[in-house]
This record gives sequence, structure tokens and C-alpha cells, in this order.
Amino acid sequence: MMLKLGVFELTGCGGCALNILFLYEKLFDLLEFYEIKEFHMASSFREHDTLDVAIVTGSVSTQRDLNLLHYARNHSNYLIALGTCATHGDVQASVEGKIRDKLEKVYGTKANPMRALDSTPIVQHVAVDYALPGCPYDKDEIYQVLISLAKGIEPPTKDYPVCIECKLNEYECVLVKKEIPCLGPITLGGCNAACIKSGVGCIGCRGPLPKEANPASEFEILKELGYDEEYIRRKFKTFARGELRW
Amino acid sequence: MVNIEIEAFTRVEGNGGAEIIIENGEVKDVKLKIFEGPRFFELLTLGRHYWDVPDLEARICAICYLSHSVASVLGIERALGVNVPEEIMLLRELGLLGELIESHALHLYLLVAPDLFGYADAIRMASKHGEVVKEGITIKAFGNYIREILGGREIHGINIKPGGFGRYPTVEELERIERQSEALLRPARRAVNIFAEQEPLGATVQHYIATNGYLYGDKLIAEDGEKFDYLEHIEEKTLPYSFAKQSRYKGNIFMVGALPRVMLKHDMLTPMAKHFYEEHKEKLASGYISFNNLAQAIELLYALEKAKEVAKTLLDKGIEGENVPIEPQEGEGIGYVEAPRGVLVHHYRIDERGNIAYSNITTPTAFNHAIMELSLYEEAKKRYGSSDETTFLQKLEETVRAFDPCISCSVHVVRL
Repeated sequence: MMLKLGVFELTGCGGCALNILFLYEKLFDLLEFYEIKEFHMASSFREHDTLDVAIVTGSVSTQRDLNLLHYARNHSNYLIALGTCATHGDVQASVEGKIRDKLEKVYGTKANPMRALDSTPIVQHVAVDYALPGCPYDKDEIYQVLISLAKGIEPPTKDYPVCIECKLNEYECVLVKKEIPCLGPITLGGCNAACIKSGVGCIGCRGPLPKEANPASEFEILKELGYDEEYIRRKFKTFARGELRW
Repeated sequence: MVNIEIEAFTRVEGNGGAEIIIENGEVKDVKLKIFEGPRFFELLTLGRHYWDVPDLEARICAICYLSHSVASVLGIERALGVNVPEEIMLLRELGLLGELIESHALHLYLLVAPDLFGYADAIRMASKHGEVVKEGITIKAFGNYIREILGGREIHGINIKPGGFGRYPTVEELERIERQSEALLRPARRAVNIFAEQEPLGATVQHYIATNGYLYGDKLIAEDGEKFDYLEHIEEKTLPYSFAKQSRYKGNIFMVGALPRVMLKHDMLTPMAKHFYEEHKEKLASGYISFNNLAQAIELLYALEKAKEVAKTLLDKGIEGENVPIEPQEGEGIGYVEAPRGVLVHHYRIDERGNIAYSNITTPTAFNHAIMELSLYEEAKKRYGSSDETTFLQKLEETVRAFDPCISCSVHVVRL
């Protein structure tokens, strides 16, 4: 029996939905198991139906986002929060201040006819069955998750920092050797150390490593390298404002 | 007197819809609505060190992240008085060409082609026209390969930096780009004929705006011969029913994107692209916005021919791979880039410590907001009462789709 899949996009850059299309021929492999009932970036076809799997990307930034999220949750058995917007809020959630003040600074009025909200990750609003961060996540990860679900297997989760992948690739440590601020030690791996491959530091787009990370120590290291506290604080909070408190 | 609501456009990037206002049995007005929430990028980068800013700006949009990175880097470099050697500009151009290939292939083959073949999406279309879909995917994957090499990742790479690159491409990578762009010319050529068949839709464009270079520039140009900075002749206003803003050029509605580029800059096109421009010149010159798809198909050829040429130039000269050192200083600068869907502006003021003191970003879909709305109005007026409702709504969606709108981008936020 085919599983029913829906892809829902809340506020974001569109990249997490786009990345699914970047699976190319592997997307056609997924279609052996899944029937797409909703995916507005890719298809004009839409069927209101209960879903076996709902993928939700983006953050809750308007009342419409919130309504759509509740719709997806109430119509699905298994909900995947896909991408850092959905799991941690990403960059839009790191902008501090109250929504009305932000609107005033930007649109010149506190009026809010479109009912914008302060951006928050979806995990703050509904229970999710699986959270896959990354800005963007690695496309093979979502493939793995969907194939696992189709086979009735609990999808694997990652629990190691970017540093591990950096070492496996034998990249030179940019933090130690070049004194570049790199968040690899405290950031959840899975990206195959894409930034360090480019010779630049990890910017933390997958959010902090749960449990074992030691951000206090990273903070001290960066301070010793001469970066000021405000700089480090904002860098830490860029993708996951709510996670690391300073 | 019932207004018609298009709840959400499909096969476009981001969340948007429209309301068609009917009065006395006629289309009175159309409102284009952007539901995508505001993301406040100008507040996000405020106070941040210039070095980190292009990586943040990339997150505005996934389809055209590299255009945002390059526009950001150009604005920052101009503010800091940095000049980079030709090699670095050529590599950036190659990255932009890769993005044009990726984005146009996605739009044409996966989002527009289903309209022309009569399917709800490319997946359903693939059952009968698998070859076309497959060719499109191959071209798109090649564009993404270039983005991965130059940009650092398919989406949101952080390799494009002020003063140069994190990592420079290898000879093997450049050779692969040179080889593959040549190989893909043939399927891309076939695409031109598919998209030349599209019917005229929407408004006819009266004013075109583009950058002075084909994919980036230091000024904007218009069809009246004007060469200018965006603040000189473009005015913006906020709308009560949308998170996007509307712009006017000297008070007039205008368009940015593939159609304006080929109309204003056809002299810069590569041989094969120019050949097809000449063949379809009259159609393009009619200005119907649906011919933006045809212009994109011509640009797909341009990008493949040009990528080959740029890769060859870089291979012949050899890559030095030296970044330009930067000293933070106070300054102001504007970066102009042609994102796949049109002119993109990143404007910065930087303080003496190298932190962002002010920024303003204007995206192509924001520039096109007014002409998109006008096009919906014209198409709705023409069809209301004569087309059945399904066709009516479908044609309105096709009209919007022709702009290749990027709604995530358009939720741009203005000067502080």
C-alpha cells in the first residue's frame, strides 16, 4: 500500500522543500512508496486527506503558518520537522524584539493586518515525531528517513558534532590552525563538514549538539582568540536563539 | 458580486495568493497577496561583522542563494573600497551562471512545462514525457554542481566571501564544467522551441530595468537609456494587504528578469543564444510577460555557452587563488546582481570596526510586484465571463508563474 505524504511550507527560504526536488532520480525511488497529496512548490495537485507522513518546513511567523501547522499535525500520523527553521527557528527567530516594534522599524507602522508573529520553531507548537535540522539538511538524510519509514523501521538519528565529520574527512582544524571562529565542536553533525571543506568555520546551521555540547568552553576559547563577547553571543544564537542562553 | 480568491499559488517558490475583485459583473481590481511571513533580514545583519554577512543573506532564498551572497559581497567590497582581480570576478560570474542554469531549468522544466503539456506537475508529466523531464533534471543538476563547487554547497554554501573565496576550484572541476556545459547545449536548444509555443498572457511590459553588465554591474539601466543608482529613480511603497512592497521607475510600472535582460542586453548574448533571440525577436518585443519563459530558455543557452567560455579562460590563465586582504573602514556601497529572476540590490553602510550600520535589500520579486499585479488584472479582465472557472484560475496562475516569482525573497524589508 502506498503511503500518503504531504509537504507543508511555512515561512522560510523555500530551501527545505527545494532540497527534496534536488533528490532527482532518488525522488522517483521514493514515489515507489509514497503518493504525494500536497506539495505546493512542486505540484498543483492537492487532495485533502489524512496523511501517513507530513513534512513541515519553515518557522511559525504568521497566524497562517500556525493554522497550516495545526492542519498538518491534525491530519497526519507521523510529522517530520524538517530543517533548522522548523527545529530551532533559524535566522528569522534570532532577530530580537517584539513583532510590532520590528514591523514599525521596517514598514513604518505598528499595524499588523497580515497577522505576523514572532518567529518560532514548530517544535514549540506541536509534538513532532522526528526532527531533522540543517540549513539546509543534507538531502540524503530525508531520503533515509522516508525510506526507513516506508520499510517500517525507526529512522536513525545523529548524535555527534560536526568535528567528527571534519576529522573523518581529514580537513585541517580551522579553529586551532587558523584561529577562525568555528562552531563545529558544539554543532550537530550530518552536513559532512561542508563549511570546513571550504576552509571557513562552521556557522552552526544545524543547531547545537544536544546534551554533550560544551558551549561554555567554546565561548572561552573564542574569547581567548580575541573575539568580543557580543560577537560570539550573536554567532551562537544565529540559528538557534532559544537553545543557548548567555 | 462575489470576489474570487486564489488561495495559494502552486509551482512557485514561497507562499502567495490573489484576490480578484468583481463589481457589476466586471473585474474591478486584483490584489496580489504575499503570505510569507516577514523575516527582517535588515535587522538580522545590523551590527554583525561584514565577514559573516554574506552567509546570513544567502538564507533569504534557497533557489538564488548564490546571487544573494555575491550581491552582498559586492556591496560590502564597495563599501570597504576593495577591488578584486579579474580572476575572482570571473569565478563569481561562473557561480552566477551556475545559479542561472539551476534556477531556469527548475522553473522551465519542472514548474512551467507541466502547463504546456497539460499536467498538474512534472512527476505526472514524466509518465508520458519522461525524456523532457529527465533532460531538465540533468541540466538543473549541472547548475547545482557549479553552485556546489563555487558556492560551497548546493543550497546556502558559504564559500563566497568578501575579498575572494574560502576554497578555489581545482583544474579538474573547471574542466568538468567546461566539458559538461558543451554537452548540455543540445537538450537546452530543444527547450527553446518548447517554450516558444507559449501563448501571450498578462500585461505587456512598457519599461525594462536591468544591471549594466549581463549578470552583475555597478549601475542599473533602463530602456530609455538612463544609467542610474536604484535610489535615484525607483520609489517604493508599502501595501496594507501584503508583506511585500511595490516599486515604480520614474512613476511607472516596470519589469526586471530574463525578458528585460535579453531585450536590453542582447548585444552581450553568446552566439547560439543570440541566434534564437533573433529568431524570436518580434515575439519577445511584444512584451507579453509570458514570453519571460522564452527569454529564460534563451538565457539557459547563454549560461551554458558562457560557462564554457569562462571556465576555459580560467583554465588558460591558471588559478592564482589569492584573496584580497581587507582592512575594516567606514563606508557605503551597493551591490547589483542579476539573480535568475531579475535585479537584486544589496546596499550597506559599514562602521569603522567593520560592522553593518545599515542595510537595504531589494529583490526582483519586490521590483516585479506591481507588474505582476497588473498582469493578473489584465488577464482576469480579458477572461472573466468568457473562460470557465477552472481555465480562468489556471491561466491566472500561469501568468504569475511566468514571472518565476520568488516569494521568500519578496518579503524584503526596507531601509531603517
